[in-house]
Amino acid sequence: MNDEQLLRYSRHILLDQIGIEGQTRLLEARALVIGAGGLGSPAALYLAAAGIGTIVLCDGDTVDLTNLQRQILHHTPSVGRPKVESGRDTLHLINPDVDVIALQSRLDGERLDAEVAAATVVLDCCDNFATRHAVNRACVRRAKPLVSGAAIRFDGQISVFDRRRADGPCYHCLFPEGEDVEEVRCAVMGVFAPLTGIVGTMQAAEALKLVAGIGETLNGRLLLFDALSADWRSIQLARDPACPVCGPA
Amino acid sequence: MNITLKLYATLTDYLPAEARKTNQLPMQVADGTTPMDVIGPLQMPEKLVHLVLINGHYVPPAARVSRALQEGDVLAIWPPIAGG
Repeated sequence: MNDEQLLRYSRHILLDQIGIEGQTRLLEARALVIGAGGLGSPAALYLAAAGIGTIVLCDGDTVDLTNLQRQILHHTPSVGRPKVESGRDTLHLINPDVDVIALQSRLDGERLDAEVAAATVVLDCCDNFATRHAVNRACVRRAKPLVSGAAIRFDGQISVFDRRRADGPCYHCLFPEGEDVEEVRCAVMGVFAPLTGIVGTMQAAEALKLVAGIGETLNGRLLLFDALSADWRSIQLARDPACPVCGPA
Repeated sequence: MNITLKLYATLTDYLPAEARKTNQLPMQVADGTTPMDVIGPLQMPEKLVHLVLINGHYVPPAARVSRALQEGDVLAIWPPIAGG
């Protein structure tokens, strides 16, 4: 770490739990952020500010005026630009040291698998179940920790699925696939602006803890946030022994 | 006895209009009422009744038809959510 980095990250380095060693881990890490919308915006901003060395930002969409109510990675002049390009520019303004890799597509198949394999930590900030299950399968296959967040209307959920811990469930244990669950999108249902900020920021916090190797993560727990009542709940999650994704094949 | 029903995210559509500001509905139910006795008449799609909690504690599917609610209990139901 050079003098400027020591200064930039000094408030992290002052923390006993992080210090030089933990900050070095952050600088050497590669985070895969899937979705540069409501959740991906605050998540990527905090990862960049905190000094995650490489951020791979994936999103196939362009910035729309209706995004700007909550997607704080993007600015009014960015309307019409690819979200990943707008996001890369904003992240570089916060921290030019961070290597931002902008992938303007919805990752799937071999590309998704390769990006997950190359990542230190994966943050699922997308808006649909199909992608969430594909990301989970890749994380289970590659034994990578997955930080999952979701938000709609006034309610949000956050969890960590870390298959390096043998007892933990995977995303599929909690949300079985193929049940024809109706997609409910923010475009139809609405979403409270700071809710996505709160959930996405929690995802960044969990990702930084995983990379630095500190504290207790949300592995095996689901955090439920009710913004209308300002109420948080944490429930224990059990692994599904018959899970077709993480169970014995 | 008195309980409170709380429905989250997309399930708030199943609350009466006057309860949607706070997403909670005070209810009077008979002794011995189970979570499913409360959930059934609301006619919510089964796949949307994902997480059931009593006073913040998770109730597994099998216990939803057997566990009796107590005076003052808060019954909360979450659908699966994927928005981002």
